[in-house]
Amino acid sequence: MPIVELQQVRKAYDTKVAVEDLSFSIEPGSMFGLLGPNGSGKTSSIRMMIGITVPDSGSVRLFGQPFDRKNLKRVGYLPEERGLYKKMPVIDQLSFLGQLHGLDAATATKRAYLWCERLDITEAIHKKTEELSKGMQQKIQFIATLLHDPELIIMDEPFSGLDPVNATLLQDTLVDLRQQGRTILFSTHRMDQVEKLCDAICLIHRGHLVLSGSMREIKSRYPANRVQIVFSGDPSFLNHPSIESVKNYNGIAEIKLHDGADAQALLAEAVRKARITRFEVMEPTLEEIFIEKVTAEMTEDVTGDRINA
Amino acid sequence: MHNVWLIAKREYLERVRTKAFMISTLLIPLLMVGGIVGSIVLGHKTKPTSHIAVVSPDQQLALDLQAELENGKESRMKVDVISPGNSETRKTLDDMLADKQLDGYLWITPAASPSERPSFSYTPQSAADRVNRDAIRIALRNVIMRERLAHQGMVASDVDALMEPVKVDTTQAGKIADTTSSLVAVAVLFMLMYMVILLYGMNVARSIIEEKTSRVFEVLLATIRPEEMMAGKVIGVGSVGLTQVAVWLLTGAILTSGSVMGALAGGNVHVTLSATQIIFFVIYFLLGYLLYSSIAAALGAMVNSEQELQQLNMLLVMPLAGCFFATAPVMTNPSGPLARILSLFPFCTPLIMYLRISLSTPAVWEIALSIVLMIATIYAVLWVASRIYRVGILMYGKRPSLPEILRWLKYS
Repeated sequence: MPIVELQQVRKAYDTKVAVEDLSFSIEPGSMFGLLGPNGSGKTSSIRMMIGITVPDSGSVRLFGQPFDRKNLKRVGYLPEERGLYKKMPVIDQLSFLGQLHGLDAATATKRAYLWCERLDITEAIHKKTEELSKGMQQKIQFIATLLHDPELIIMDEPFSGLDPVNATLLQDTLVDLRQQGRTILFSTHRMDQVEKLCDAICLIHRGHLVLSGSMREIKSRYPANRVQIVFSGDPSFLNHPSIESVKNYNGIAEIKLHDGADAQALLAEAVRKARITRFEVMEPTLEEIFIEKVTAEMTEDVTGDRINA
Repeated sequence: MHNVWLIAKREYLERVRTKAFMISTLLIPLLMVGGIVGSIVLGHKTKPTSHIAVVSPDQQLALDLQAELENGKESRMKVDVISPGNSETRKTLDDMLADKQLDGYLWITPAASPSERPSFSYTPQSAADRVNRDAIRIALRNVIMRERLAHQGMVASDVDALMEPVKVDTTQAGKIADTTSSLVAVAVLFMLMYMVILLYGMNVARSIIEEKTSRVFEVLLATIRPEEMMAGKVIGVGSVGLTQVAVWLLTGAILTSGSVMGALAGGNVHVTLSATQIIFFVIYFLLGYLLYSSIAAALGAMVNSEQELQQLNMLLVMPLAGCFFATAPVMTNPSGPLARILSLFPFCTPLIMYLRISLSTPAVWEIALSIVLMIATIYAVLWVASRIYRVGILMYGKRPSLPEILRWLKYS
């Protein structure tokens, strides 16, 4: 039974269609990535999942039931635009937000202390929010999302604006939570993040679903026709007939092979001409898949058989 | 309800704990005390203390005038008597005026016959000197009257008794005139509502805007309904206003009940209110406050910045001001059709219905209906406000036009 299930959801604001015919489902205990460029409808989709807005048509199911506000207490939501009460001390703030999610004051305060310790911001706990750095505020917001121990965690762009140390800390926390059986959905426009974190993804563009499924399955749909070669010396092997296109970044070549071409022949050619320090055959990255998909769609648009509102 | 309570509690505590709240809560009663003490002190000091000269051929008149001006009831002046004056006197006095040694001089020319009054001319140092001129005029009249009365053979004590000011007891008048007291109560209700709405109603709007700019609402809306949030804000921010007003009123009550005020205020107005009137006063004040705060919440939901809110400020107090003008026709006929209709119109109910209750006895169903209508309106306004809010926050950027707002109401 999927924890979140969207079926043919559509949402329009005035004349602008934010989401059109969107369907996907999230299995319990998985890490799900909602991907898409800026303005593609990620936040609109998330808002419909937690009842901030209601879809014009289609249905949203949470925890296997039709949408019901009672279930929202089981959801932790981190909005894209972070907001905290500026003049309120951190501990009061966390306790307040915890209580809104159904905790009693004592439990909320106790958990807030534990989380602050875990994320290493104990010194901030009695300060007002406005006195804290942006990174610290992000961590506090992160804690506020998790305080009531939600079964489903929804995070809109959770890592944006964080330094690498803190981003890793939060990533590790999410991975821990997934191991404890929580379901996590997060949206991002940075596809490289998703590859190692997510079990399943859904890729949207201009409100439309482009691609969805488990990470492994999606990758297996695409042949391993990408080659990265790090070399020094004569680059003329890059004219090898097996190569469809190539980008040479001063000794690092990113190559796309023709369908069915054998990478070994290219390797043999390369070894004859230049010194190879690395040679790697891989599947296309999500980014490449996305660009390929979107470009294909745009061409369809141009040919005129589909109009995007 | 639990969520409404949490939101209200947070708003209340955060606002009450600020320095600004504590200062203004304490400062206003201090100003009240200061104002009362100040007016007592000033009341004793407004008697003119200038230095003038009196030139008169009639020495007795000049000396009497000197006594009156120096030690009389109305003034504490310093008076030099020059009697009689000679041709040089006027020039000397003019020079002294120019040197600012004198504030003015009075020149008395004796009358041609004993039955006539002498003529007086006062030359002040500055043309704006009205206080001294008035004090001199009063003193002269007293002196001349006293002199004439004594001349007619009256004893000095009789003269003093005759010249005592007349006292009119106004407290008796206040008790019989019931209309006056209800009018005063309505005026107080109006002033209180107007002040509280103006001071605190906008705080509700502001706190809603604040939440929009800080973007906290999105976290909140993930668990609670916009209606709950609106209601919580109205109650929380509203209670802050009520707390402050309660502190002020209490101080005011303590101050006015003291003998200090009793002694000071000559024309004491006694407002006699029955227990029912007080109960209705509280009910209608609270309902009115809630209603107007809800409208403020709706205004806050519509706009994105404080500047935009300023422009809508008038919308909030205009209906209330309009009602106040309607009190006049209602008073003349408290059971007439106009009064009955207006008293059921929720924006006017607090003032008009209260006025009707204190002037006549409207039917119980009318009172009940007016209260039910007000509660329904508050609920409706909050519902509309939360609709506007929910859609408004999701498409912030510009202020919505009226048709847009109407369209928003249809969204969910």
